[in-house]
Amino acid sequence: MPDAPFPPDSRSRSLWVSGLLLVAVGLWCAVAVAGAPSDATQGVVQKILYVHVPCAFAAYLGFATTAVCSALYLWKPQERFDRVAASGAEVGVLFCTLNILSGPIWAKATWGHWWAWDPRLTVTLMLWFIYLAYLLLRSFTEGSERTARFAAVYGLLGFLAVPLNYLAIDLFGGAAMHPDNLERDSLGAGMGLPFLASVVTGIAAFVYLLLLRVDLGARKLDAAARELGV
Amino acid sequence: MSTLLAILWKDLTIELRSRERVLAMGVFSLLVVVVFHFSLPGGATSATRDTAPGLLWIAYVFAALLGLGRSFSLELENDALSGIAMAPAEQGWVFLGKAAANWVILGVVQALTALVFGLVFQLDLAPVALPLAGVVALGSLGLCAVGTLASAVAARTRLREVILPVLLLPVLWPVLRGAVRATSELLATGEVPFEAIQFLIVTDGVYLIVSFLVFEYVLDE
Repeated sequence: MPDAPFPPDSRSRSLWVSGLLLVAVGLWCAVAVAGAPSDATQGVVQKILYVHVPCAFAAYLGFATTAVCSALYLWKPQERFDRVAASGAEVGVLFCTLNILSGPIWAKATWGHWWAWDPRLTVTLMLWFIYLAYLLLRSFTEGSERTARFAAVYGLLGFLAVPLNYLAIDLFGGAAMHPDNLERDSLGAGMGLPFLASVVTGIAAFVYLLLLRVDLGARKLDAAARELGV
Repeated sequence: MSTLLAILWKDLTIELRSRERVLAMGVFSLLVVVVFHFSLPGGATSATRDTAPGLLWIAYVFAALLGLGRSFSLELENDALSGIAMAPAEQGWVFLGKAAANWVILGVVQALTALVFGLVFQLDLAPVALPLAGVVALGSLGLCAVGTLASAVAARTRLREVILPVLLLPVLWPVLRGAVRATSELLATGEVPFEAIQFLIVTDGVYLIVSFLVFEYVLDE
């Protein structure tokens, strides 16, 4: 019998708890963002911030999950580490896609064009390609053990782009159109709490989707084991 | 260290006898340079000369993709890769040997390509030949470090010719950025671009160390 990360009861309990938590913080976020002041120069379009940035943080979390579980898999090759690593990459790519899609809507309204080769935009796009490549690698490799091992190596290598992305403004400054990182007080008055609510919601959505994907992986494995009569 | 030298000697001996990689990469990169010239409006104008460093590096990357793809696929013949995997040697040194061989082979192709590139785009590369060789060598080091690792992974997958560029190009971004910037500054000012070179050295170092450490996991019997 393959090792499961959690027993089925514990899995469905975790899903319920994280689902309820997501609904709760989602409602808090909706109220907070609706009441948040609009930016004086950008107007209401600036509220994309409350989707765009949390999606970036959730994507970072997904890729960090992949990197940590990849390292764990290389250290102790257990199927559960690979399953969580693959789930982290899938959910990370989803949030990274949302981040890349929401950015141009904001950019068109504020910068006047859909896309600019700003350092952070460029590195985010590369990050998206890296984890798409990670998912392609998984589908092109035969044998579950080899797939897990190769994916773990690439998942670790790809994660090097995450700190590069966060530090892109400082490292490649110059023509950067994105504002500095958050510790530089780039948020306007009254936007702090709605922003916090949106980040918490983004993290809750990430946790829920990750657990859902890990559970799906476990169910697939159980079904395959039953089919083989193991 | 002896493993590194043994693998380097083996790969270079195979290449010296067959000359298949250098020939294929060389002809391909020359073709790329000529195609660039035909496809750019007006051929070698001052505007296209401004983009020359980027075009040169695209030609290098295309050539490298051909050579890197062959680097491990040739080890699949007679299952030589299993022999390397089972050899009583530190696998990281095998990686360094393969990467060094790729670096030397790519270097030969790059020198030839730069020569033709200068002629086609009417660039006088002679005054900056030595520092340019240093910049290209540094850029290629990062390219070969991460490329050799990606090639080892791709060799054992389905559609390996397709997956190699998909795996390599996104992680190559910092190396390409540093190399193109260093080449641009060098060609524009004639001075050694220390900031871009520092960035390249750090990137090369990180990729070499990470690839050295994880290489044992991509070799299997």
